Amino acid sequence: MIRIAAVGDVHLGEDARGRLRPALDKLGEHADVLLLAGDLTRHGTLDEARVAADEFADLPVPVVAVLGNHDHHSDVADDIAKLLEDQGIRVLEGTATTIDVDGQRLGVAGVKGFGGGFAGKCASRFGEREMKGFVDHTIDRADALRSALADIDADMRVALTHYSPIPETLRGEPPEIYAFLGCYQLGEAIDESEVDLAIHGHAHFGCEQGVTPGGVRVRNVAQPVIRSAFATYGLGE
Amino acid sequence: MSDESPQYLVAHLRRALAEHPRTAELGVRVNVRGDAVHLSGEVASEQRRADLDVVLHEVAPQVVIHNDVRVADCREPSQREELR
Repeated sequence: MIRIAAVGDVHLGEDARGRLRPALDKLGEHADVLLLAGDLTRHGTLDEARVAADEFADLPVPVVAVLGNHDHHSDVADDIAKLLEDQGIRVLEGTATTIDVDGQRLGVAGVKGFGGGFAGKCASRFGEREMKGFVDHTIDRADALRSALADIDADMRVALTHYSPIPETLRGEPPEIYAFLGCYQLGEAIDESEVDLAIHGHAHFGCEQGVTPGGVRVRNVAQPVIRSAFATYGLGE
Repeated sequence: MSDESPQYLVAHLRRALAEHPRTAELGVRVNVRGDAVHLSGEVASEQRRADLDVVLHEVAPQVVIHNDVRVADCREPSQREELR
């Protein structure tokens, strides 16, 4: 069995430095890999990213992350990704990584994703330039996830996103804002690949468990949802 | 209590919490009930919980605020979900 720990939306900053560390120091007892589902920071600054990098540094298991919308707020997302990478955290954005766990290969494909909404209640690429730009980003990021998943050669596959691929894990959020919390295109990309588990964050008032239309288990690991330093899942026998 | 209608008051306060650099909190619910504003949700530290009151007092000093926001639980998980 591969043990996966995951958390999103930790929103670190100097005032929250070290809060996760007591639990993370025991991470090796719980998991073989830690996945971070975006929103590591609050304002997306390099100072906050340094706190996040310190918080998740020197852990006994590989750490794989995607960034979230908060991590983009100061327009230095690329620098944040590099800073985290320099601390040994693998940051995915339309890319994948493979981790060896006791001879089994776990492939993780990651992308931030975007909003757009879900089948029948979603934005269309029509009208104003701004609207087309919005939906173009939705489609582009979903295509990037699809491509990253196709690149994986592993025994088990995980799709890691910040935005949600399904509406089910958003229950608890106002339905009117679902279109800003995720998009069906991410779910479609996941269902076209052989994915064993999809992990996302972003929806603080959502719920943990859901399933894609194609039957892939989805878990919303936003910290306010899981109410612990991280959630853990066992994949396989 | 504010003279604004409750719907506009909620919109203004939610936007303030999301867009004010001191808070940048999108995960806080704002509800107007009777003559008071109730906040719920979760933030990462005690300081951020206190900052919600400060920012709302800045933008709407006449409003009574009940801050029920909790601080994130950072303990280890008590169990693992097996996905077979």
